[in-house]
Amino acid sequence: MKRNITAAIAIIAALSLAASAGTISGKVSGVAGESVVYVDTIQGKTFPPPTKSPVVDQKGLLFQPHITVVQTGTTVEFLNSDKVAHNVFWTNVGGNKKLGHNLGTWPQGEKRSFKFDNPGAVPLLCNVHPEMSGYIVVVPTPYSAATDKSGEYKIENVPDGSYTVTAWHEGAKNQSKPVSVSGETKADFTLSK
Amino acid sequence: MSSRQRTTIIFLSLLMLVLFSSSSYAIPAFSRQYGTSCSTCHIDFPKLNDFGKAFKDAGFKFPKDDETFIKVPPVLLGAPAQKDLWPHTIWPGSIPGLPPIGLRYNHFFQVVSKNRNAFNAQIPGDPTAPFIPRTDFQPGLFSIFMAGNFGSDIAFWVDDDISVGGGPDGGLGDGYLKFVNIGRFLKLPTDALSLRVGQFELDLPFSPARSWNLSGWDIYDQTNIGAPGQNVNNNFALSSAAQGIEFSGGHQYGGYHYSLAIVNQNTSGNAAAPANISPVTTFVSDSNFKDLYARFSYRFNLERDPASRNEIQAAGATGPRDHTYLSLGTLYFYGRSVQRAGGVEPDGVTQTVITAREPFYRVGADFSFNYRTFNLFGQFLEGRDHNLIPLTPTGFTLPIGFIRSNPAKFSGGFIEADYLALPWMMTIMRWDVVNSSADRINGIGADASAPVAPFLSPLHSTRHRFTPGIQFLIHANIKTSFEYQIRPQQVVYEPGTNLRLTTPFRTNTAVAGLEFVY
Repeated sequence: MKRNITAAIAIIAALSLAASAGTISGKVSGVAGESVVYVDTIQGKTFPPPTKSPVVDQKGLLFQPHITVVQTGTTVEFLNSDKVAHNVFWTNVGGNKKLGHNLGTWPQGEKRSFKFDNPGAVPLLCNVHPEMSGYIVVVPTPYSAATDKSGEYKIENVPDGSYTVTAWHEGAKNQSKPVSVSGETKADFTLSK
Repeated sequence: MSSRQRTTIIFLSLLMLVLFSSSSYAIPAFSRQYGTSCSTCHIDFPKLNDFGKAFKDAGFKFPKDDETFIKVPPVLLGAPAQKDLWPHTIWPGSIPGLPPIGLRYNHFFQVVSKNRNAFNAQIPGDPTAPFIPRTDFQPGLFSIFMAGNFGSDIAFWVDDDISVGGGPDGGLGDGYLKFVNIGRFLKLPTDALSLRVGQFELDLPFSPARSWNLSGWDIYDQTNIGAPGQNVNNNFALSSAAQGIEFSGGHQYGGYHYSLAIVNQNTSGNAAAPANISPVTTFVSDSNFKDLYARFSYRFNLERDPASRNEIQAAGATGPRDHTYLSLGTLYFYGRSVQRAGGVEPDGVTQTVITAREPFYRVGADFSFNYRTFNLFGQFLEGRDHNLIPLTPTGFTLPIGFIRSNPAKFSGGFIEADYLALPWMMTIMRWDVVNSSADRINGIGADASAPVAPFLSPLHSTRHRFTPGIQFLIHANIKTSFEYQIRPQQVVYEPGTNLRLTTPFRTNTAVAGLEFVY
């Protein structure tokens, strides 16, 4: 009997949660290429970081993928797949130069890890190949999405509520706007460099 | 042409030589092909870093997994599987997917010291005397260069100066094919043997053709013109382009390196035109003899970590960098300078052309020490030409042959320190020295219209030149350079005498250069 009650409560809770989870979708315009849209810090709420570590590869003198979106507290692994020496460093996190860091040098096939505890865009650079460029976008919530080539995005499973949603694009000024999520919610952004 | 005009032309030629003797090349074509910056291979273009040296050694390819780095796929001139059909098909090769063309332009501004018109001392008070301006803007080189790899480890390079000094007088620099690592056919260790064929700069320790300095290293431009009484007229300089074949092996970025070249004999300075015979323009050689050039060097990489020591670049705490190293090397050049003269047969009657083939050699030693961004390097060179003077026996009016006399010699070298203070700023200090008593003697009493002009009359047999400089990269492909040349003391003599018309003076020169490659 107890078990049945617990199951019923769980089902009701799940249904009510599903009913209150919405999506934020829209378009980022004014810039070309991939952008990142995310729900900014929610006061009073913390989210456990994912246990899985994404990998940023250095391959063919490129950072692959070019943009990686991670949640605050995520550990990112940096791999060198090239048969040339590489290095990874960044000069700031979200514009804060005190958070710049240099991971040094490591041979082909090996990885180095770094845990990103501060939100903001991290411009990845290599000091021997100055043309190499990549980004880690560290976002404070699990609610984020990258746009497709046309600028369209969709953030799913966002609980209903009022948030600040921010759009980021390489080299452009961030744009933030308040968004009230209730079911299907639209939010478009126009960025400029 | 008047002697005054000749003086002016010779002086300006000297300045032009100072400016344009270093024809430096970086390769934007590779940047396009691999989608990478100039600084992948260059410290301060065209100075190569360790990776650039490895790239060049490999035949203008990434030393490992080249195909994974190419952003513009090459055009195949035959499917790789065609190799199975050989010799019933052409061996498959490839050409770069983009025309592998780079272009370069530079411009100069120079300020010559107030002594610049002291050369007019031979014609004092003449209102029509040549005037050399204090300041001058000058267009430099406009050059095209192409390089890459045709597959099968066959590299190519061609560069040509389309315009020099605003005029059309350019010419071919290097043009060659290099068959890299042909030692694999003989089961030799990797990169133990390569073959280069065409026109190329000799494998000198420090390349004048790819020098990053505004002015060239004096010793590489030194010819050996004997003093009066000597029968030596050797216009060969180590910086001269050579035509022939070259075997080489090893690596420039660590361990041994050698080269052995067999090249045309040409000591007249012109195509098949020794000073004493008419030019034959269809040939480059001026004799049947082929000169020999050999070089051997060994570079000790001094990193403590063995793994890092054996890599192309050292693993620094904050990223890859050039090794700390000490390189020691030696070079040797052997040729035979041809001197022809009108003479007679031993019968004393029958006139004939008598020919002296004067053996000459250049031998040198060099070093290069690098610590992080500081590079100290130098070259010592000695040159010696046999001196075969015409022998006219008693009772003869013309010579019947030659006898050996005092050789014509010179020596010298340079030491240069480069410090890359910032990735975009390099400071340079250089000392050039050349010792040639013949050069000093040839200047005494020389007239402006004589082959050796008075501006070349050095006060001492040993000529020192100190050249501090600084270079800035505005972008990775745009550079502005400055250098101040503290030149050796000179003096002007009364023509035909050893009477000095001036007190010793220097024509120090400040030069600024601006260049870009694209």
